[in-house]
Amino acid sequence: MKVSRRDLLVGGAGVTAGFLFTPVPWKLLGDVSIWTQNWPWIPQPAHGPVDTKQSACTLCAAGCGIRVRMAAGWPVGISGVKTNPMTKGTLCPLGFAAHQLNWHPQRLREVRHRGRTASWADAQTAFEKACTEGPVAIFDGRPGRAASSVLQAFAAKHNGSYRVVPSPETQALTPYADWSGVPVSALGYDLENARTIVSFGASLLDGWGTPGRFTHLWSEKAAGATDPQLRLLQIEPTLSRSAARAWRWIPIREGSEGALATGLARVLLEERLVATQSPMAPMTLEDAAAQTGLGTEAIRDLARTLVEQRPTLVIAADGNPAIAALNHLLGAVGSPGGIALKSKPNLSHVRPQPNIGPNRAVLLDSSVPWDFVPETTAEVFRFAAWDGGSSKADWLLPSPGFLEELTDVPTAPTSAVDTYAVSVNLIQQSEEVKNTAQFLAKIDSTLPDVEKLIHSRCEEIFGAKLGMVFAEQQTPVTKFESAQKLEEQLRQGAIWMGNPPKPGGFRCILQEWPARTAPSHTSDWAAAWLPPVLPPLAAKLYQESNLRDVPARREV
Amino acid sequence: MSARYGMVIDLDRCTGCGSCMVACAAENNVPPPVPRATPRTGLTPMLVRKLSNGKDGADLREAFIPITCMQCEHETPCVSVCPQQAVEVDKSTGIVMQIPQRCLGCRYCMTACPYHARYFNWWDPQWPPGMEKSLNPGVSVRMRGVVEKCNLCHARFHTANEKAAAAGKTQIDPADYVPACVEACPTGAILFGDLADANDPVSTAAHSPDAFRLLARIGTEPKIHYRTTQAWIRTLADKNSDRPTEAQHV
Amino acid sequence: MRRYLLVFGFGFALALIVGWVAFPRALYVSRQQPLDFYHKTHAEKSGLTQCDSCHVLGSDGTFSGIPRMEVCAGCHTDKLGTSQSEAVLVESYLKPARETPWLVYSRQPANVWFSHAIHTRRAGLACTDCHGNYGESDETRVYQQNRISSYSRDIWGHSISRLRRAPHDGMKMTDCESCHRRHKVEVGCLGCHQ
Repeated sequence: MKVSRRDLLVGGAGVTAGFLFTPVPWKLLGDVSIWTQNWPWIPQPAHGPVDTKQSACTLCAAGCGIRVRMAAGWPVGISGVKTNPMTKGTLCPLGFAAHQLNWHPQRLREVRHRGRTASWADAQTAFEKACTEGPVAIFDGRPGRAASSVLQAFAAKHNGSYRVVPSPETQALTPYADWSGVPVSALGYDLENARTIVSFGASLLDGWGTPGRFTHLWSEKAAGATDPQLRLLQIEPTLSRSAARAWRWIPIREGSEGALATGLARVLLEERLVATQSPMAPMTLEDAAAQTGLGTEAIRDLARTLVEQRPTLVIAADGNPAIAALNHLLGAVGSPGGIALKSKPNLSHVRPQPNIGPNRAVLLDSSVPWDFVPETTAEVFRFAAWDGGSSKADWLLPSPGFLEELTDVPTAPTSAVDTYAVSVNLIQQSEEVKNTAQFLAKIDSTLPDVEKLIHSRCEEIFGAKLGMVFAEQQTPVTKFESAQKLEEQLRQGAIWMGNPPKPGGFRCILQEWPARTAPSHTSDWAAAWLPPVLPPLAAKLYQESNLRDVPARREV
Repeated sequence: MSARYGMVIDLDRCTGCGSCMVACAAENNVPPPVPRATPRTGLTPMLVRKLSNGKDGADLREAFIPITCMQCEHETPCVSVCPQQAVEVDKSTGIVMQIPQRCLGCRYCMTACPYHARYFNWWDPQWPPGMEKSLNPGVSVRMRGVVEKCNLCHARFHTANEKAAAAGKTQIDPADYVPACVEACPTGAILFGDLADANDPVSTAAHSPDAFRLLARIGTEPKIHYRTTQAWIRTLADKNSDRPTEAQHV
Repeated sequence: MRRYLLVFGFGFALALIVGWVAFPRALYVSRQQPLDFYHKTHAEKSGLTQCDSCHVLGSDGTFSGIPRMEVCAGCHTDKLGTSQSEAVLVESYLKPARETPWLVYSRQPANVWFSHAIHTRRAGLACTDCHGNYGESDETRVYQQNRISSYSRDIWGHSISRLRRAPHDGMKMTDCESCHRRHKVEVGCLGCHQ
């Protein structure tokens, strides 16, 4: 039988007609349309049990309480802890996306020696060699932690020195420490009792100190009111976020903060607006007016405003002693609503050792900000979880990332009350990373262990029988059965808080009016952030909107 | 009984920190921007804009206004133009719901939205390798070529509803349903609740004399209300709302 | 003319055979579960006759789905029997504390939100209404995966025509909708989508 062309055509028609009576066209259409909804390169969230854990954020010294939503063992969402007495459930904008940082493209996962891949053994050999050859300096960016004690112990044992890189907030408190002899870590601001707060360029409403503490206070006592319970005066050359929302914004010339403070002091003393005995401020009102760009009458008015609604607290952005001296004049040192001395026990008092000559090696803990580059010819060992670009470090040592290590969170630098929290490693620490304490323990096995130190600190708190533990419920320390129970609560995200500061306790003695120093600028909103990189979602704030300026340390 | 979820945003309390924007993006699996994304092409279901009185020197004043989907109740513009029925006003919650999977990407709704609160996925959503582990399992990831917007954190409504069902209740506990931006606001500037419930604080606040709605004159009856005691902020907020990206000066 | 009718009929019949017999076989790829599991054995030997003995609804409404290894480990502390699957369970998953990578027959796509709590507690559905009497099965079904959409065959249902199906066969959106319509449940798109 010969098959003709016509047979093929008719047969083809039959096949076509037949397919219409099968599921083929309809099912294919449906499946293909589903396929187009699920491109393989579009990621899908993982399946797994969902759970909520509490911890403390470790990205800056504030240590805000965080609620971490976990799915399939990984953090998928972060929010604040409402029961935390310091933050009251608030976080900074960067904290909400911090759980993405561990996968940041600039995450360090290998040891690097001058740009080349090396091993932990190489780094250890090099550091051990350095320790035998000369003194080493160990820098800590966040003193008072259990890990800090390990660093201190190592420095003490191995002919080294332990040094602290103070945060701008700590620097601003240093003059009071110098004038009173009290360690700077024992000082804080009693914001809650102040009724007028004068900020000399400190970004009070934008990431200063414990970010949520002041914003919450401002929201309750000042926001939107024409005659607020809490007056915020912002002295700053540009209209920052704090200035925009302040009760009064006083624009002055760049760098003239010290001159304005001295001018204000002159008026306060001349017009006898304050009772404090003090040496006369060495600057005429006219000079101050010329330098700041304000009129003499404006400075007089401002000085009168300072004493109108007291207690008045002056906050500087840095350690300018001329600004700090204003607090002394206003009687804000050691009194309610002023500079407060924390009550005991204080866990974080550290007296950094002085510099002891040239060093053979410098070790920077991961808590040291990336832009801190010691001026030294020594071999630099830098611990960091993220690579912030040029660092002049000979060794880059990958550290645990966000929520990858067990650490404790001592009192935040600006707090007037002692606090203690524990941040547990909700994520398993990967094998390629080590923190400074783990690295040093390999060299000297007699060093104290972070976990044991946390344990003994909890015992200290339990033994002192002071303060309160804030979890879902508030429990006084005296109500705890044992130190273990207390530690258990802290490891589940509770925070211990000491007693509020008592008035008095320390005094400042000012021999002469301090010289003005030009204030440094902390106007970059991301500058207070410890990691050298921002979470990728932070780009919503400056790239996909005009809300903020592109941060100076923007990720590549 | 059907709810009408809405907000009252206190502009006097907004410090423009941007916590709401980041928390929103993290909650809703909004991808980080590609390098060439701009404010015009970005994805910001919650967007804080700067309002400036445009004056010089010490007279300069600034305020901030969070803009999100206004959840229009009446003649919802995006619903009426969608050829795909990919948007609808939910009967039981009043939420204007967008189903990105149904969207064909024509962007009529973006043109129709008087508040510029809708965003187009110009690029494939991509995260750095490994970061997909941080995605919220309650929200599906969108794809290139579709429009998205605020659904008032509907995943959180689901969770609250499921919890209520497990407890044998038909109504959700208001404490269980709080959108991410509301939770994130450090000054408590965003009040969220059921506008249909006269006892809800949000209802009282929405009816206070300081409260207003953006472009109230066009009659879309948004369920996002604002409040401020400052007349200049109120004027600027309304003027600014039809400018998509730039701060508006008077 | 008759010849052409015959040729047409042949083509028609060929299409029917390909479409109804060969196509469904070609469309789905069969995948083996990591190990054999028998609901019936668990019911008979351990008295786990209730679904919620292992598939638990939490107090917050979250559903455990296939139990995690720690639930299995509650009984399977060591090998319970001599079967190959028992050895695989203990050696490959229990001892290294790894989750069994089960292929989930009823896995819905990522944009679907389904709550067991709402369907069982609020609407009062029984497990068998959607899952059939799978809890009494004495075999481990082969997991069939659609080559194009990559969904499980259970979503479309085992009847390729979707006609004359068992009531619980098929978990497509239309199945959800028709059940909602029958029970006069009115939900918006985001009621079931996420």
